[in-house]
Amino acid sequence: MSTLSSVSIETGRRSYSGFGASVAALARREFRDALSSRWFILFTIAFAVLTIGVSFVSLSGVGSHGFSGFSKTSAGLLNLIMLIVPLMALIAGAGTIAGERERGTLVYLLSQPVSRTEVVLGKYVGLACALCCSLCLGFAVSAAVIAWRAGGVGVAAFSLLIATTCALALAMLAVGLLLSIISRRANVAVGLGLFVWLVAVFASDLGLMAGTVLFRLRVQDVFALAIVNPLQAFKMAVIVGMNASLDVLGPVGAYATQSFGSALPWMLWSVIVLWTVVPLSLGVVLFARKGSI
Amino acid sequence: MPLFVLTMSARALGASTEEIARLIDAADAGATLVVPPGVYEGHLTIKKAVTLDGDGRVTIDGGGEGTVLTLLAPGITIRGLTIRGSGSGVEREPAGVRAETGPVIIEDVRVEDALFGIDLRESPGSVIRRNVVRGKHLEPGRRGDGIRLWWSHGCTVEENDVAGSRDMVFWYSEDLTIARNTVRDSRYGLHFMYSHNTHVSENVLSNNSVGVYLMYSNSITLERNRLLNNRGASGYGVGLKDCDDIVVTSNAILANRVGLYVDNSPSSADSTGVISRNYIAFNETGLLATPITHANAISENAFVENEEQAASHGRGDLSRNDFAVNGRGNFWSDYAGFDHDGDAIGEVAYEPRSLFFHLLASEPNLRLFIHSPAQQAIEFTARALPELQPTPILTDPSPLTALPTTGAPIGMSSKGSRAMGALGAALAGVSALVVLSLGRAPRLAPTGHPERATGGQEAAS
Amino acid sequence: MIAATGVTKTYGRFRAVDGAAFELSPGESLALWGSNGAGKTTLIRCILGITRFRGSVTINGVDVSRSGKIARSMIGYVPQELAFHDDARVGPSLMFFAGLRRVSSRAASRSLEAVGLAGNEGKRLRDLSGGMKQRLALAVALLSDPPVIVLDEPTSNLDASGRSEVADSLRAQRALGKTMIFASHRPDEVRALASRVLVMERGRVAGDTTPEELWGSGGDPSVMRILVEGDGEEAAAEILRRAGHTVSLNGHGLCVTVEEHRKAAPIESLFRADVRVRDIEFLERTDHSEAGS
Repeated sequence: MSTLSSVSIETGRRSYSGFGASVAALARREFRDALSSRWFILFTIAFAVLTIGVSFVSLSGVGSHGFSGFSKTSAGLLNLIMLIVPLMALIAGAGTIAGERERGTLVYLLSQPVSRTEVVLGKYVGLACALCCSLCLGFAVSAAVIAWRAGGVGVAAFSLLIATTCALALAMLAVGLLLSIISRRANVAVGLGLFVWLVAVFASDLGLMAGTVLFRLRVQDVFALAIVNPLQAFKMAVIVGMNASLDVLGPVGAYATQSFGSALPWMLWSVIVLWTVVPLSLGVVLFARKGSI
Repeated sequence: MPLFVLTMSARALGASTEEIARLIDAADAGATLVVPPGVYEGHLTIKKAVTLDGDGRVTIDGGGEGTVLTLLAPGITIRGLTIRGSGSGVEREPAGVRAETGPVIIEDVRVEDALFGIDLRESPGSVIRRNVVRGKHLEPGRRGDGIRLWWSHGCTVEENDVAGSRDMVFWYSEDLTIARNTVRDSRYGLHFMYSHNTHVSENVLSNNSVGVYLMYSNSITLERNRLLNNRGASGYGVGLKDCDDIVVTSNAILANRVGLYVDNSPSSADSTGVISRNYIAFNETGLLATPITHANAISENAFVENEEQAASHGRGDLSRNDFAVNGRGNFWSDYAGFDHDGDAIGEVAYEPRSLFFHLLASEPNLRLFIHSPAQQAIEFTARALPELQPTPILTDPSPLTALPTTGAPIGMSSKGSRAMGALGAALAGVSALVVLSLGRAPRLAPTGHPERATGGQEAAS
Repeated sequence: MIAATGVTKTYGRFRAVDGAAFELSPGESLALWGSNGAGKTTLIRCILGITRFRGSVTINGVDVSRSGKIARSMIGYVPQELAFHDDARVGPSLMFFAGLRRVSSRAASRSLEAVGLAGNEGKRLRDLSGGMKQRLALAVALLSDPPVIVLDEPTSNLDASGRSEVADSLRAQRALGKTMIFASHRPDEVRALASRVLVMERGRVAGDTTPEELWGSGGDPSVMRILVEGDGEEAAAEILRRAGHTVSLNGHGLCVTVEEHRKAAPIESLFRADVRVRDIEFLERTDHSEAGS
């Protein structure tokens, strides 16, 4: 009996190799599930339609010309991205593990020879690929419109916008996944996701604006408080990438440009990366430490 | 005019400018000297009214010291030379070419690696035409001017191409013609100091700190210039400071930090400013004016998609200027009114009231939050709650509802459209590929071969 | 092969499993016998290492808490009801698990054949009958030919024909020498498949015995639920145990296993001890013809 003989040989073998293979298998399934799920298709279409809309509106009726630097199209896209991409990523992340827990499929998955870390990372990677594909499709359409109507936001600047947007999506996805891990039910997780979205997109900025006006915050304080928000870090990273300077953002931007110079893009990117790595690691740890399913 | 054709053969590297000096010494005044091709090292001072023609194949290299070519007699013409290697210390203001008396003609000269490019001191009636000036690779604060006129009236400066210098600057020089020059990557594209009565047209000023900056200079007309992407520390397309009787018309002012900056112009009681038929688009602020600015007639301009169409620099508004002349105002791309009687003039006045920009005026730090959903939220709130709306910064009683014909050199750029199209196609292709390869459901292999499964437990047995 | 010592799992103050211990040699088949709420499912989750617990479980010397992934690679698990995405199709689902267990698609096909599901690869999970679903779960469990199979009431949601389908497949695996642990509350199933029975009661192991000892070798046993007047359930259980019956308490009366032709015996014992019986009820009376042999 081959099984019995293999058992004795395996005794004492402590490492079960294939971490990457398990993650890849889980990621592929997650990716496929995302592709066939309603939210993904809806968001992809919505994002594509909105980017076309923004590109058209920004370029229409003005004789169509593209300018280097920070154009109206980029600004419009930026606004759209900051509104919709975090929503998309947070909800995608929030729905996943809590949803499986609720449907009872999580137990079955965990009873397979996979570690909890692999499950979290597999889901993350799969959803991340799906999100990036969705965004790239939207951007592809937008690029086509820009090429047709104007043709010169600058390919480098546009590529940078795409890369930074994907990074933002990955960060928000990590936050969503963390919410999914700590919530018992999918509805709660998605609700939390919406709450985080509201805070990140509106509440934190408006609060900081109120603080700036009421307490007359110094530029360095405003800057320090603002870049904690991954959306602000994203916005500044895009602008500094396109413009090589944050002058567009007034005294605070000028302060940042002067104080940090060439280190500024790195700073902003590391904020986004931290917003990815910290929630993801926290999610992995919390999920592994969970007493039950 | 006698023409001396020299039989000297072309010089290899290492010839001295003394050889040119000897040619000049040997020539009569008014002669045209064709300098043999080659690189000449050293400095050259011309004190005789001759024409020096290098036919584009003569280089004079100053070796990084002092002024390379000095013109000290009226009537000198230099043409087709490359001048390079001036000194770099600011205190003696070393230049590529310096004239200290006029008139001189400097044509088709290329100046590179010079602190000051072409410097005219008290050289009235001179012509500077079709020259190329490239500054030294210095940080902006230590650069010299690309072209400078000092007390030189009646000069023509046209079709020059300046990059990487400080300014193309005009001091105390009147009755100039400045046309079809290109200045980019410099501090001020065109800079006027106490220089009056000048016509400035069809210049292209891009990627400088400021496109055109007029200071204390009166009666200047700016026409059909193209001011693009000037977004340095001040970042004005056109800046007017204490200037009387300025006419700014048919210029394309695009993608600057501030399209048009007006500070106390006109400053005299009885003078006026005219700002008309300009195409002011894609700037962060279209028109920025200090609150004391008044008596400008601002009409038939197209304000298109500027982040903030018009703003006051400091507390106050722009109401002391006229935003309509003879019943015709300006085109504002964000005008939400309507044209009932079909005369292409809106029935409702254009009165921009952005709460966000209103807040910005008193708390500039808030500009950090521009381009964000929070900004939209604030504007939305102000629209929903009219009591929050600030008073308008300006009133245009007769806004145009159709884009006026401005005659501005807007230019159509299709550059990069192919690359952008390629990017779009590549993105679509890559994502489609990923979707197809990863998203394809795996298939079970047909059975029939009794071979063992691979991996897993069996690998160990 | 499997060793469990002091396995204790608490949810707040409730002890779902309380100090369970047993050892199992290769080839043995252990039934976890007890009523609902006795802790069978929780014990199985502890064995799979997907829940945190005190005590230890080792599979082939591998601690499930410390090296869950390795341990689970030696276990095939069949849940009460296959919980996987209903939209998924049989073939791709099986391939996903094959990926996790790193076996070839050919092995997956064979596994599907072994449970008699070949030819159903294109069906969606929601279109499968209960018995087919459970056989698919078994196919997943058998993918990597693991030495241990753990089943959690694999037939409880099935009708008679479904039960016999699954039971046949399990008997075949038993014949192949697999070590098996399964939870059940069906005496016929236990009798047919188990070599040992772990009787569980309120989280505790109340007995480690064999089906023969539990029910004798005679006719098929039935389970009778007895409801007594007042709150004398504990006392009544004690009386019945002393009289040699197998009793479990599940908060809703006493569950007593009775043998064919001697069904009145427990009532008589209680009557003699002056315990007043309010009602009786037979649970899932076994039917000889239905269970198949």
